[in-house]
Amino acid sequence: MRYYIGAEARLRRTVEDVAMSVFEGWNYEEVITPSVDYYDLFEQGMGQREAQRGFRFTDNDGRLLALRPDVTSSVARMAATLLSERPRPLRFCYAAPVFRQQTQSHAEWRRENTQLGCELIGAGGKSADLEMLRLAAEILARLNLESRYCITINNVEIFNGVAAQLNLSPSAREDFRRLIDTRAAAELQRFLQNYDSREGQVFAQPAQLTGKLAVIQTARNLITNERSVAALNVLDELWTEIESLGLQDVFDIDLGDVSSLDYYTGLSLKIFVHGAGTSVGRGGRYDGLTGNFGRAEPAVGFVLNLDALTEVLGRKGKHD
Amino acid sequence: MITIAIAKGRMQESALALLARAGIRLSEDAINSRRLALMDETGQYRFIFVKPADVPVYVEHGIADCGVVGRDVLLESEADLLLPLDLGIARCRLVVAAADPEAMTNVQGMIRVATKYSQIARAHFGARGIPVEIIQLSGSVELAPALGLADMIVDLVETGRTLRENGLTVVEEIGESTGRLVVNRASYQLKAEEVSRLLNALTTAM
Repeated sequence: MRYYIGAEARLRRTVEDVAMSVFEGWNYEEVITPSVDYYDLFEQGMGQREAQRGFRFTDNDGRLLALRPDVTSSVARMAATLLSERPRPLRFCYAAPVFRQQTQSHAEWRRENTQLGCELIGAGGKSADLEMLRLAAEILARLNLESRYCITINNVEIFNGVAAQLNLSPSAREDFRRLIDTRAAAELQRFLQNYDSREGQVFAQPAQLTGKLAVIQTARNLITNERSVAALNVLDELWTEIESLGLQDVFDIDLGDVSSLDYYTGLSLKIFVHGAGTSVGRGGRYDGLTGNFGRAEPAVGFVLNLDALTEVLGRKGKHD
Repeated sequence: MITIAIAKGRMQESALALLARAGIRLSEDAINSRRLALMDETGQYRFIFVKPADVPVYVEHGIADCGVVGRDVLLESEADLLLPLDLGIARCRLVVAAADPEAMTNVQGMIRVATKYSQIARAHFGARGIPVEIIQLSGSVELAPALGLADMIVDLVETGRTLRENGLTVVEEIGESTGRLVVNRASYQLKAEEVSRLLNALTTAM
């Protein structure tokens, strides 16, 4: 629960306006989706584990509803059903509150967050991925953050390829993922001793997972499976584009970003801003999602957390 | 500058000794003062001293970039943190203890377990399918079986002396706990250079 009064509310509105005007500049159409919808929609859209963090309740007829825990699910369904005849690609943006139950350690007001987001549906490949990165970078650049921010990018197929090659059981795969995600170096090395594979070693040194182009070169020395190599190539090409746009200071490669593997299918990105303890935005490619609503097509998008951004910018204003 | 949250108590002394070996020193005056936030001699690191259970909270919210805290505390918290280094300090065991060595089979009805570590105890017995009633205490857990509050305890053991003196024996080992370096996710990206300098210094000193 959080109130914004006067100057804070104006600042929040300004941040929202900046993001929405950048989206509009790139021809993204605003969309407003229902705040309350059938719970089923979100389970199809986000997977069970994430959707269960939503607030659920029933109507008088006993049907299960939810306060929307994300907007992407609704946009994906809309694209597959209402707009199935519209020529592709579709470009949509939104500024909308989402509601999620938080773990104990988080402040209560974070149960409601406003997402500034965009979705590009029906376009795959490098140029669509790059469009997301440029949008995110442009919004951050216009927010007066004095270059104290960073966007990390990864391709989840690099991990998927290595995990497939190691032939891990589902629980071992989850252990492997968790150890990489928390950068637990010693445990990772112990885990990999059980597997006779050179490829796994790519994740054994967490320090080598994060950085600029050198990260890809190091990974190439160890990875040979086709699936991961293809993903490395995609990431490599994307990085070349980032460099040619002169944006390499803003971006980092992070092969250790494996936090939501069951959702993303290619590019994944996270946005960090100095002064915020957690990431203030995330996104990626989710080609598997729209198929859940009857029309499989490539899609990519990201969201920024308006409340977190407002807090960082507000605190900065006070200290200056 | 990097802020490091250190768990007060058991962990503090061995953490500061390790940091000193890594070349990160606090002056004697600073250590002997009662201030809770201190700078190191070079001015690159700020230390804050907080209760162990609060270390994950400070680090997750990014108020501290890094923290030194026991694995037992991390298992008990729900914080989302990076765990790059096992420092190997303040080593101790998490155990189930009882007055009767055969308590696991001898207790009639629902087993009552007194502990400071309710999450760990619940997970341990839950994984084995043993229904238990957890009684949350905040200290002197060894008293509970003697006074009849519980049949068993789940607690941290260093030498086992406190257990023995209170007539308890170890029934089961749950796991080991050592001091860990934890890092905030955003600091890991935004202060990558400083964080990796700290990681390298600590790795060499270990």
